[in-house]
Amino acid sequence: MNLLTRLASSAALAAIMALSPLAAEAADITIAIGSEPSTLDPQVRDDGGERAINDNVYETLMARTPEGELVAGLAAAAPTQVDAKTWEFKLRPDVKFHNGEAFNADAVVNSVKRVIDPALKSEQMAYFGTITGAEKVDDLTVRILTSGPDPILPSRMYWMKMIPAAYSGDAKFAEAPSGTGPYKFTSWNRGQDIVLEKNADYWGGAPAIDKVTYRFVGESGTRLSGLMAGELDVITNLLPEFAEQAPKFAAVSGLETTLMIVSTDNEVTKDPRVREAMNISVDRKALAESLFGGYATPAKGQVVNPKAFGYNKALPDYVFDVDKAKALIKEAGAEGKTIKLVGEAGRWLKDRELIEAVGAYWKDAGLNVDIKIEDFGEYLNQLFDKNKRPDAVFLSNSNELLDVDREMTSVLQSKASSASNSDQEMSDQINAARIETDVEKRQAMYDAITKKSYDLSYLVPLLNQQDIYGFSKRLEWQPRVDSKLLVKEMKVTE
Amino acid sequence: MGGFLLRRIGQGLLVVIGVTLIVFIATRMVGDPVKVMLPLSATDAQRAAFAQQFGLDRPMGEQFVDFVGDLARLDFGESLWQRRPALDVVLERLPNTLMLIGAGLGLAIVLALPLGAIAALRPGGWVDRTTVFVGLFGLSLPQFWFGLILIVFFAVTLRWLPTSGMGGLPYFILPAITLAMPSLARLVMLVRSSMIDELNQQYVRTARAKGLRFPRVVMVHAMRNTLVPFVTLAGWELISALAGYTVVVETVFAWPGLGLTAMQAIQKSDLFLLQAIVFTVAVLIVVINVGLDVIYKLIDPRIRLA
Repeated sequence: MNLLTRLASSAALAAIMALSPLAAEAADITIAIGSEPSTLDPQVRDDGGERAINDNVYETLMARTPEGELVAGLAAAAPTQVDAKTWEFKLRPDVKFHNGEAFNADAVVNSVKRVIDPALKSEQMAYFGTITGAEKVDDLTVRILTSGPDPILPSRMYWMKMIPAAYSGDAKFAEAPSGTGPYKFTSWNRGQDIVLEKNADYWGGAPAIDKVTYRFVGESGTRLSGLMAGELDVITNLLPEFAEQAPKFAAVSGLETTLMIVSTDNEVTKDPRVREAMNISVDRKALAESLFGGYATPAKGQVVNPKAFGYNKALPDYVFDVDKAKALIKEAGAEGKTIKLVGEAGRWLKDRELIEAVGAYWKDAGLNVDIKIEDFGEYLNQLFDKNKRPDAVFLSNSNELLDVDREMTSVLQSKASSASNSDQEMSDQINAARIETDVEKRQAMYDAITKKSYDLSYLVPLLNQQDIYGFSKRLEWQPRVDSKLLVKEMKVTE
Repeated sequence: MGGFLLRRIGQGLLVVIGVTLIVFIATRMVGDPVKVMLPLSATDAQRAAFAQQFGLDRPMGEQFVDFVGDLARLDFGESLWQRRPALDVVLERLPNTLMLIGAGLGLAIVLALPLGAIAALRPGGWVDRTTVFVGLFGLSLPQFWFGLILIVFFAVTLRWLPTSGMGGLPYFILPAITLAMPSLARLVMLVRSSMIDELNQQYVRTARAKGLRFPRVVMVHAMRNTLVPFVTLAGWELISALAGYTVVVETVFAWPGLGLTAMQAIQKSDLFLLQAIVFTVAVLIVVINVGLDVIYKLIDPRIRLA
């Protein structure tokens, strides 16, 4: 969809006055999500549509508070370490799956074994790569084994859904899920809707909403229309320019942070002065205001998600100073030199606009910027190309596990999938930090790494995006920093 | 006619095979499904393992031989994205798109014939000028925008109809109108101009001179000749709708059709699903083309099928 049609549609919607939505039956709500789940098997795909449903049906050993703090979920308490490669979880007693199976150590062992089995071809192995197995100690005690010391294991167990052992072998498992969560699966009318109803026997107490219907509406203008027409109670990914038109809305710090990965080995960008200029020539506040209506937060000296473990609180804001940037470029002899900026369009909110704006800032600083907006497949080829790094490449980094390891091992560590530096010392530091299980020591190690990355401008972090949700007048909910749509936290007022 | 049909079906088979082969090559040249499917932060080792699990790391020749073998058994493999047989996905979504096309194109065809004919009776009259104006309007409207305007007016402001989704009759109205608009415009213009041509022909004057009533001349004699180009254009509308033209309407109205599924399959580089979709659509288009030839023959016996 091009800019013109977006403008036209937002103008059309702006012309309509806000209307109070009709009240539907009590405590039944409808949620619109952007895409239909491809499967309801909770262990196979890395799919936001699937998670939106299954986060309410299934649960995990660890959970997070709405503010992102890691707490016990199906585990009775935080895990303890038996040795460097073994974590022990005590389980919450008397929990049952919706189909009647008991939740116990056998269920945990089966859940772990199934998801790491290569035969399942799970995309979620990107989160569970270090896990090698699980062992039952007694009925309510289980040990998770890792290939090496893994301080992130508790966070990983916040991502791994616990499934009923017997039923997970059934052919129906992918269509009719059965978990331990506050909502039970009712029906899936493919292409149209998925319905869940409340689990009155939920161990955490029955939730307030009785029934929830999910609809799949990809187009944001149509989602907003549904909200305004009173058909919907919650919509996700409300566009910043539409926020004021929703009957109610809420924004919360999200998982995505945009950045430019700058190559430290290419001719022009190998000079740290050029890279510093690329950082201070970008007016992040103006970008957040003009492109995202203020629903984005300028990155503070790092790409690490502000809510993630390992965020460096000591790093300062980037101070926008185009004169200093010009001076640095001149000093480095890079004035008028061409750098190639690779990006894509359409995958992330306003990605093209953001890339072009940053390119324009760099031009103001004296560089000649060659912006290449590629189709997504070609963009990925260049993003992951180990041999020929672009001078700068755009990325929106998502941190589902809310742990700094994600940023380190995707964009910062030399030889990582999208990194553009060859700092071997830093790479060793990252390897050391990711097996350090002492929490404070680990934080200190990451502080040193993010400080160095800041000092040498290995990256140009841009904005931490906020998630914006639209609500009907009657719905009350505080959105979560981990982007999960947990219906048990919602309620309606009539 | 039997021999003709056999020949056409044979040719159609070649077309289907050709298209499918092109898709096999094109999908493998464009995107790498492994990179697209896995989280961006996945490590290189995880990507390699995923490629191996789906057999995408094998030499292209080997993959091709498998592909042809499976194709012969109408086995399109498992959709990478949906994790179920690709053909199941296609057969689930195809009826939704066919219903949408049926409603939209049906509306366009039913309205185009009388509107175009009435306009042609008095070229330059107010009915004619209105028809031409509305026709141009329908052609120039961006479908995406038109759909949203309909939603805002009929679903949000008046609350007469649902905003989106698929269900009973009320759910069909707005998507059908949106889909019909440009087709209706093209079809009306065609009926109008060919009817004007026909009404100036010698045979019309002869018929009138013989004392035949004007409505009969128009409805029976002129209309029949108008139908030949009309069927051609209507067939083209049908084929282009099947070939993905419905995707805008499906997107705006969250209609769970094949066009939307095809777009998602492209975005997700789901090779196996794309192959199944293209194959199915190619078969349908071949069938429609044969059907059109038969219809020509029925309308105009002078047309020889060879």
